[in-house]
Amino acid sequence: MTADQIRAHIEPIRDEFAESRSLVLPALKYAQTEKGHLTRDDLDAVAEATGFSPAYVESVASFYDRLYLEPTGTRVVSVCVTLSCMLRGADEVWEHLCEREGLSHHGGTSEDGRVTIQEAQCLGYCDHAPCIQVDADETLGPLTPEAASQLMDDLHVAPAPEEFWR
Amino acid sequence: MPILNSVYRHREAGHVLRDLADYRAVGGFSALVASVSDMEADDLLYVFHRSGLRGRGGAGFPMGRKASFLPKDAKLAKYVVCNADESEPGTFKDREIIEMNPFQLVEGVALAGYAIGAERGYIYIRGEYEYQARILDAAIRAAREAGYLGKNILRSNFSFDITLYRGAGAYICGEETGLLESLEGKRGQPRLKPPFPAVAGLYSSPTLINNVETLSALPPIVTKGADWYAALGPEKSPGTKIFSISGHVQRPGNYEVVLGETTIRELIYEHAGGLRDGRRVKAIWVGGSSVPVLGEQHLDTPLDYESLNAVGTFLGSGGCIVMDDSGCIVRATLRLASFYRHESCGKCTPCREGTTWMERILQRIVDGQGRMEDLELLESLFGRISGKVLCALADGAVAPVASALKMFRDDFVAAIEQGGTPRPEPMWPATPAQAR
Ligand SMILES: Cc1cc2nc3c(=O)[nH]c(=O)nc-3n(C[C@H](O)[C@H](O)[C@H](O)COP(=O)(O)O)c2cc1C
Ligand code: SF4
Ligand code: FES
Repeated sequence: MTADQIRAHIEPIRDEFAESRSLVLPALKYAQTEKGHLTRDDLDAVAEATGFSPAYVESVASFYDRLYLEPTGTRVVSVCVTLSCMLRGADEVWEHLCEREGLSHHGGTSEDGRVTIQEAQCLGYCDHAPCIQVDADETLGPLTPEAASQLMDDLHVAPAPEEFWR
Repeated sequence: MPILNSVYRHREAGHVLRDLADYRAVGGFSALVASVSDMEADDLLYVFHRSGLRGRGGAGFPMGRKASFLPKDAKLAKYVVCNADESEPGTFKDREIIEMNPFQLVEGVALAGYAIGAERGYIYIRGEYEYQARILDAAIRAAREAGYLGKNILRSNFSFDITLYRGAGAYICGEETGLLESLEGKRGQPRLKPPFPAVAGLYSSPTLINNVETLSALPPIVTKGADWYAALGPEKSPGTKIFSISGHVQRPGNYEVVLGETTIRELIYEHAGGLRDGRRVKAIWVGGSSVPVLGEQHLDTPLDYESLNAVGTFLGSGGCIVMDDSGCIVRATLRLASFYRHESCGKCTPCREGTTWMERILQRIVDGQGRMEDLELLESLFGRISGKVLCALADGAVAPVASALKMFRDDFVAAIEQGGTPRPEPMWPATPAQAR
């Protein structure tokens, strides 16, 4: 994403913060909506738009799990493996999805590049355990391994979202 | 079975209040109107104080007292910050409030702002709640259009607005100073306290930080009165609290109860539908995962701050995780240890290394590589982590492990003697969600 596009996003909210450093995280999140991850150029553009150094911007970005500094699949599927979900079958769902996508039990990106599956910590949907989240805006549960598999079928053919909020 | 949905208006009304008109129809914004038109800020602060409302984010600190710590004569701007990071395992009550009743939170933040003399509030919401963030964003805009936020609210001298700030996946940003760092555009690593946020918080200015459930309780406290709220439940733990309950129960969900009037047993068996036939309670983490675990012998403990402290645990966030006797306490404890290892921000060596070691030792016990000395090794770690770090995450990591080892030592010994613990069959959902 270009520095101008990022500026257009953060300028309207600049006045809401006493220090412009607060714009770094919103800028990073917005920059990520273009490709679903942040490239070197994106970090440079965020640096230019916010007025902080690229090294600083990267040090912030690297702190947060949901900012991706490496390419991901078209959709990122987060499988909650924390206690409440574990008690309701999260490990079984997780392993089933990994095997289905031909991945080790560490997760990763499917061969066709369509989905990345990753373990997640409590998503705040423990009443829907076991649950999984697609990017950051859709959380589903309770799921059986079969229902989760069906969701993956859909994700492999679904069009890419216009913006990646993850 | 006293159940009282009297504080959170969507519960009282029995339906979603996502439209401003619906929220107003149940008395919404009348507290803000009344306060800004004919109440002094200090009097409002005193109402909060007298209500006895305690923080619902985990620590349970009296809300009014915390608000009164903000210096009155400060020349710096003051801020209200709402903690909507909700990432404590087992906790999903703030999600419900935001999804179903976002205006009550908006009104609560504005009331707190008026009481402390702030002109801006921030709501910091976890990145994973993007769906909820959109609902809240729409509510903030609608409130602004209707004149409840912005310049000279309802033609008073009070100007106040709210900024929604999205996190990006880090449990530690729920810790108040980690949150402030993140909101300042930095890595979300906690600060050394003191100074406390009330004195030097956001941008080193006096800052009031409260949880979503805490701030959402303010509008009804103002309309129905501090005395009404203070009279609910025990003197030191007044009011209602939303408990999130999950794990091996038939009806996981949120239940709002009057503190002190409901026992853990009633929460599990009456509200949450009990366990599966033939199952008994094995372990309960009643206040989220950062608390000492309880067992079946504690079922008759009333749910309030003091009663839970008396049996050695904390009310915490009210995220009650229940495991029945089909579950394995060693595996459950390992799962929590893994959570804290993953979420430790790494700033303090005892926390970063200690959480890594707790996970490693528990993992080898589960895998059948444990030795009896491992139990002493684990115990020797606890004192080397607690109290030697910047924030309470480390204590939260130690609590479930240390307490499980104490209460269920036989299970750990058996796991070592028997060469590991098999993975138990999970409790499958009765009706799985349809994938779209
Ligand atoms: C590791 C850690 C995580 C926390 N996470 C949250 C959280 O997600 N939400 C929250 O309201 N408080 C959380 N807290 C507590 C906050 O630090 C703070 O006490 C709270 O937001 C104050 O609001 P209250 O007084 O209304 O409870 C956390 C504390 C720690 C140590
Ligand atoms: S105790 Fe742990 S989480 Fe808290 S600041 Fe230190 S390293 Fe970070
Ligand atoms: S434990 Fe999975 S959503 Fe909370």
